Amino acid sequence: MVEPSLVLYGALYERAMEVLEETLRETGARYGLLIDRKGFVLAHKEALWAPKPPPLDSLATLVAGNAAATQALAKLLGEVRFQELVHQGERMGLYVDEAGEHALLLLVFDENAPLGKVKLYGKRAAEALARLAEEALANPPKLSLDTQYREEAKALLDELFGN
Amino acid sequence: MSTINFANREINFKIVYYGPGLSGKTTNLKWIYGKIPEGRKGEMVSLATEDERTLFFDFLPLDLGEVKGFKTRFHLYTVPGQVFYNASRKLILRGVDGIVFVADSAPGRLRANAESMRNMRENLAEYGLKVEDLPVVLQVNKRDLPDALPVEMVQAVVDPEKRFPVFEAVATEGKGVFETLKEVSRLVLARVGST
Repeated sequence: MVEPSLVLYGALYERAMEVLEETLRETGARYGLLIDRKGFVLAHKEALWAPKPPPLDSLATLVAGNAAATQALAKLLGEVRFQELVHQGERMGLYVDEAGEHALLLLVFDENAPLGKVKLYGKRAAEALARLAEEALANPPKLSLDTQYREEAKALLDELFGN
Repeated sequence: MSTINFANREINFKIVYYGPGLSGKTTNLKWIYGKIPEGRKGEMVSLATEDERTLFFDFLPLDLGEVKGFKTRFHLYTVPGQVFYNASRKLILRGVDGIVFVADSAPGRLRANAESMRNMRENLAEYGLKVEDLPVVLQVNKRDLPDALPVEMVQAVVDPEKRFPVFEAVATEGKGVFETLKEVSRLVLARVGST
C-alpha cells in the first residue's frame, strides 16, 4: 500500500505533545519523539533540564531504518512484529516502540531513568500516540499550496543549486 | 506523500538515489554535502562497510529555505547497490517522493543497470507504486570513462520509452550532480498541492 501522509496539527498535535511531556516527566527520560515510518519527526519534546539533543533528523532516520529492519527480521521468522526495542549503553539508552502502523515513539534516556519505568510509560505513551495517529489519518487536513508556492520554491532551488 | 509538520511549519520530501553497485550514488551525496553551505544541510549519515560500500543507506538532510511560511526540506537517501542487499533497498523506498536513478556508463555494467531498474520496479510495486507514478530522473554517470557507452544505449536499457529526464554526469568531479538534484527537486515540488 502507498504510505499515507501522517500529519499532526492543531488539537491532535497538542495532545501528542502532552503525551510526550507526561512521559518524560514520569520516566525521567531526556527526549521524546514521535516519528513517522519514513524517518521524519512529527513531534518532539525535551525535558527542561536536558542538554542539547543530537541532530533530530539523524536520530529519526536511523531509528526508522532500524525499526524497519527489525520488522523485516520479525517477518522472516514468521512473527507479525517484535516487541519494543531497547538499546542501552553505559550512560545512554534508547526505547523505541510502535505507535500504531505508521508512527514510532522514541525515548532517549540516561542512567538516571529506571528502565522499568521507561518501558512501562513508554508502552502507555505508544498506545496513546497510536490512537492520535489513527485520528490524524482518518481526518487528513487539506493542504492548499498553490502555484505561488511552486514558483517561490523554484526560485530557492535556483539559489541553492545554481541556474 | 510529503510529510507535513504544521506545528513546525515544515514540508519534508524524501528523495532516493537508486542504481547498481558502484554507479556513484554515494559519490553524488558526498559532492552535495561538500558544496552545500553550512546552515543549509544537516549531518551526513553513512552506514557503510569498512571498504566504504553502502551497507544500509546514506542520508543527507537539505534545507531549501522558507516558502510561503513553510520550511521546505529534502531528505536525500542512497540505497545499497549490491544485489544481495535487496532487503535493505526495499526498506529505503518506503514513502519515497522522488528518485534519481544513477546508471553506470561502463560497457560491462549495462546489464547491471537494467537489472537495477527492474529491481526498483519490483520493490516499488511492494508499496503499491509504479515508476510512472513518481518523479524519476535518470543520471548517466561516469561520462569520463574512455570507453563510456553512448547515453542512448544506457537509456535504451533502463528507460526505453524515454520517460525520464536524462542528465550526464561525472559525479567524482561534481559534473551534473546539482543539475540532477535540482530537476528531481523541481519535479517533486511540482506535485505539491496537485495530488
